[in-house]
Amino acid sequence: MTRRAPSRILTLAAHEYRSALRSGVLVLLILAMVLVTAGSITIGSYDFKAQITDYATYVAQATAAGITITAPPQFYPLQLLRGVIEYIQIIGAIIGIGLGYLSVARERTGNTLRLILTRPIRARDLFFGRLLGATAVIATILAAAAIISIVLIGIVGGVWLDGAELVRLAIAFVLGIIYMLLFYALGTWVSARSKVVANGLVVALVVWLAVVLIIPQIGDTMDPDNQVPGGLFAALQVQKPDELKVLAHFSTYETIRNTLEETSLTKHFERYSFAVTGIKDKYNGKSLSTITSDKRGDVAWIAAYMALLSVLMWSGLRRERITQQET
Amino acid sequence: MTTTLIIAHQQLRSLSRSGTFVLMLGVLLVMTALAGFIGWSSHSTIISVYDETVRTLTAAGKPIPPNPFASKPRLTLLNNMIIYIPLIGALLAIVIGNRSITDDRQAGVMRVVFSRPIRRSTYFWGKLAGSTLAIIVIMAACLVLSAVALTLTNGGLLTASEFLRLVLFYALSSLYLQVFVLVGMVATLLIRSPSTGLFAAVAIWVLITFATPQFTSGLRPVASLNPVTDPATVSSSEFFRATSKAKPIAINEQYKTLSTNILSDVSTTGTIIVAAQLAPIIIALLLLGGTASQLIKRHDFSEEDARD
Repeated sequence: MTRRAPSRILTLAAHEYRSALRSGVLVLLILAMVLVTAGSITIGSYDFKAQITDYATYVAQATAAGITITAPPQFYPLQLLRGVIEYIQIIGAIIGIGLGYLSVARERTGNTLRLILTRPIRARDLFFGRLLGATAVIATILAAAAIISIVLIGIVGGVWLDGAELVRLAIAFVLGIIYMLLFYALGTWVSARSKVVANGLVVALVVWLAVVLIIPQIGDTMDPDNQVPGGLFAALQVQKPDELKVLAHFSTYETIRNTLEETSLTKHFERYSFAVTGIKDKYNGKSLSTITSDKRGDVAWIAAYMALLSVLMWSGLRRERITQQET
Repeated sequence: MTTTLIIAHQQLRSLSRSGTFVLMLGVLLVMTALAGFIGWSSHSTIISVYDETVRTLTAAGKPIPPNPFASKPRLTLLNNMIIYIPLIGALLAIVIGNRSITDDRQAGVMRVVFSRPIRRSTYFWGKLAGSTLAIIVIMAACLVLSAVALTLTNGGLLTASEFLRLVLFYALSSLYLQVFVLVGMVATLLIRSPSTGLFAAVAIWVLITFATPQFTSGLRPVASLNPVTDPATVSSSEFFRATSKAKPIAINEQYKTLSTNILSDVSTTGTIIVAAQLAPIIIALLLLGGTASQLIKRHDFSEEDARD
């Protein structure tokens, strides 16, 4: 008797998850992510404590000299996630690509896809099965990172997150899962289309470099004000009104630079998750609906990328299916 | 010696036949061209911004500040390569290291090779020579492209000193990439599953490229991607004053410092300082090379083809 579609999808998802577990990849990735998360939060906490110590020294000196004292540095515990989110931006994308490559490489070297195709499996079962399996693998990795983040913010940072903060942290990590899945789809698509699967990995890494480094870099590094440490206009001792007058002559350059930056998936992921977690100061204390409304452009871009890469993954899997059947 | 060359040749042919070598060469050449273009575009824009600032300030009767880019060395247009090589270059080097062992394992080449009177050390030296040659050819092509790009953007040929500096930069980059070829080889030899070996090597790359600078300088991962580091983003707290003592052994930081000095025409750096900065890279190469050699000597090649 033919099994029902949801059951087939779950079986394929379980196959994907078990393969990652058995090969040791899942454990390795969990360990790597937990290690960089723990390091990042611990370093952030110590840095903040050092700022508080410096502030106390400054207060003592300012009081003795009779100078007006500035406000102390504010501690927002979720801001300790900055390094973790940046790691998801950079390494999470590589992990996603690697998992996509691995799922294609595994089927090719083990010939398991051919075996799977002898069963009454439809293309959409394969698509959703793999996607669900990859979601479970990525969710496990990020869940481990989220748990270690909560524990370390509590122990090292000295603040236990409340309910609202936990919701914001969860949103940031769910966004991280979506972001990594997009790169998983890319890895699957490119690897499936390559005769030599390792070449697919190389091509996917090049796309990663473009999305994660080059395009955001065009936004940041090619910003004239970012060319000098501390800022060009600060180095030239030019005041804001004069700076605006000068930049008015470079509006086309700025438009091209900003447009390129707008196409970067990484930038949109960064902007929305930084806003939700309050890493971007101006969003601290704002409601989630206000932030989402303010960042609707970033949400729309992420949704557009999700649609595009779903198509890519579907096309990659079809190609892989055809290749296996022809072989 | 002849056997070593045959193995090196086989390694190169394997990389070339699968298209991996051409792909990597193409990728790094595109990166080099892009680094040159971004450098030129940023530089010419900033000069225009400065000229416009001078006009605005003159019109307002304000004092004119000196041009902060007036004495910028011409080779600094390639500063982005200092970021691209440890990122994409190192990842591609890991793939070379991983494939050099995995391809032989999966195709059963190792069993055939060791059914002949070939010493395991010969096999190791052959593999090392093959991958080194692949890296050198790629870096040499990047050197030529960089020289052409700089000549075109600067409107004149490079001086002998500039060309020598460029050669030094790419020689240093070859050494740095060789570390990652060996990381890829060692991880694949240690771990039976090729893909887990690949992920383990990538995890070591993450540790070297992002985690260590964050630990020693408080440089956040994204800040590590920018060739222009704002001093304000690097913490000077007591914690980092303590952790920065580990900087001399951080190979990524030493590579970046040395490369920046080479491209920025810093001639005040003494031989002893350069040797000290180069030492961690050389030590890493020797340690990884020794480990890979020992692993090949002890490896059981009668095993079945490696699969995930």
